[in-house]
Amino acid sequence: MSLDVYYFTEMPYHYITDELAEQWPSLRLTFPNSYFDPNKATDLFKRYLDEYQYAEEVGFQGLMINEHHNTPSCMDVEVNITGGILARLTSKVKILMLGNMLPTSDNPPRLAEEIAMLDVISGGRIVSGFVRGIGVETWANNTNPVHNRERFEECHDLIIKTWTTPGPFRWEGKHYNYRAVNPWMVPVQKPHPPVWVPGTGSPETVEWAAKYHYTYAAFLTEISRAKQLFGSYRDHAAENGWEAGPDKFAFMICVHVNETDEKAQETGKAFMWRMGHPLKGPKEYWAPPGYFSRAGTAAAALRRQRPMNEMSYQELQDNYHLVVGSPDTVIKKLRHIKEELGIGSLLLEAQGGPLSHEDTMRCLKLMGEEVIPALQD
Amino acid sequence: MVAFTEEMVDVGGAKVHTLKGGSGEPLLLLHGAEGNSGWLRFADALAEKYTVYYPSHPGYGKSDRPDWLETIPDMACFYTWYLETLGLEGIRTIGFAMGGWIATEIAAMCNHSFSKLMLVGAAGIKPNVAEITDIFIISPAQVLELMFHDPSQAPEYQAVYGREFTPEETMTAESNREMAVRLCWKPYMYDPRLSSLLQRVKIPTRMVWGRNDAIVPLECGELFKKAINGSDLVVIDNCGHSPQVEKPEEFIKTTLDFLA
Repeated sequence: MSLDVYYFTEMPYHYITDELAEQWPSLRLTFPNSYFDPNKATDLFKRYLDEYQYAEEVGFQGLMINEHHNTPSCMDVEVNITGGILARLTSKVKILMLGNMLPTSDNPPRLAEEIAMLDVISGGRIVSGFVRGIGVETWANNTNPVHNRERFEECHDLIIKTWTTPGPFRWEGKHYNYRAVNPWMVPVQKPHPPVWVPGTGSPETVEWAAKYHYTYAAFLTEISRAKQLFGSYRDHAAENGWEAGPDKFAFMICVHVNETDEKAQETGKAFMWRMGHPLKGPKEYWAPPGYFSRAGTAAAALRRQRPMNEMSYQELQDNYHLVVGSPDTVIKKLRHIKEELGIGSLLLEAQGGPLSHEDTMRCLKLMGEEVIPALQD
Repeated sequence: MVAFTEEMVDVGGAKVHTLKGGSGEPLLLLHGAEGNSGWLRFADALAEKYTVYYPSHPGYGKSDRPDWLETIPDMACFYTWYLETLGLEGIRTIGFAMGGWIATEIAAMCNHSFSKLMLVGAAGIKPNVAEITDIFIISPAQVLELMFHDPSQAPEYQAVYGREFTPEETMTAESNREMAVRLCWKPYMYDPRLSSLLQRVKIPTRMVWGRNDAIVPLECGELFKKAINGSDLVVIDNCGHSPQVEKPEEFIKTTLDFLA
């Protein structure tokens, strides 16, 4: 059974040392942007975009991008900008935007036409991820967390209608109102680009994704937890008379490959930056009051036995949050994930923290030459 | 102690949990963002002279939230209906913090609801110099720490805050906090129209503020005084955001003087 492998980086501005990070409550939201050097960022963007381009060359089936705000851990602040760049820099790969934050958007028709334009420019290669945004984004964008889920759903409904119903039409909802929805730009893919939804455990999200037959991507969850979530998706599907195949399931983890296990263990330590301070911060930053439902709060407690930023390098590997090794070792571990979870797509964050350009390029090459082909049987 | 009862008042299909006790003319108490404090010493003392109505706002505690109720002006509109249901008009009212904001919106939209208005550490007006503390981005424990200037002088502090909470109480506190987020998220804790609308308020109005209020700065009390003709501002020294709990005797005295 084939497996689509996606390359992903958060494009970190990784020059923030632990010593500096420790002086602030978090690297998110309130970490002062006076530490940002735009000139350094220019060089980083060049490098990260080169790496994305190279990932297509070596054989990845897709490129994944995401966005965050107010944080050095992710310099991508707008997936539709990077999506536009990649649409032109690449010619074959799928471009998975995971994704646009719907609840914080005040203008769904505008989002619909932006994504449609990307689909047109890329010749129908866009996979349109829709996300609620982590709690921090609610603060950064100042959108009421109590409305997060209902805005997500209404924004989604309006975008899908914009893509699938000939305009002009009128929209009078609770959060959005339009006189004439009629964007000139509509997507190439019909009825619309595939929609994916990431989740870390909210049962409502699983149910919602199943309702629309969307692909559900489990992000950095324990394999056992992902199994439960996928199982619950399959159950919802079965209850509604259809069978959810592997294309409905994706799993995201960090991965690092080097020529030997020893070398990989050494260079892979760069991921500890990403697993450290960017994941810390006051509870309220991550979970503004009202952001999680009661069920979501209970599910969040089940997600991991311990927060990732408290796990050692070895524990992160033992728990499959981070897979590190030679091509053979990594093939073995990724096959295990593929078989355990019955997934159709694997989303690999293969550049993280201060992992150098050289180490990233070598990793991508080994992935393309050895790992990805070995996962296709 | 004055006996009080618990009633569910039906307002357009939404049940409003209301503590009621005492005798005499009616007095409405409107609680702050954290929810109904229960029948504490200040409520009891006021019930010696008045019939105290102390509802949990819709969406708080055991009170229902009608689907349409999302904002403080919605809340004010709802309370005019609540008063009408109870046959109350031209009554005395005390609004605490966010409840003060609700009370001023009611007073500004409906000039026969209240006869006298007292605002205690009230939200609703944007300060020019300081800022209203963002109580949503800090933990409930941090909020509590900021609420009191010196908890040791609050006679009921231990009984109210210094004990283990039941899971049910914790859940109520969380859902109250969510309701406050729903109502006050943006703009945070103020209504840009309010200062202008308060020119309509002609009833006797008194602001009571803890000088050391670390949640809603004293400056807001001064701005209310400027906005409401003929109002006065009583400042209680060495006192934080909840004078009714931190300095109940001083609070009760100034309140009874004003309401008489």
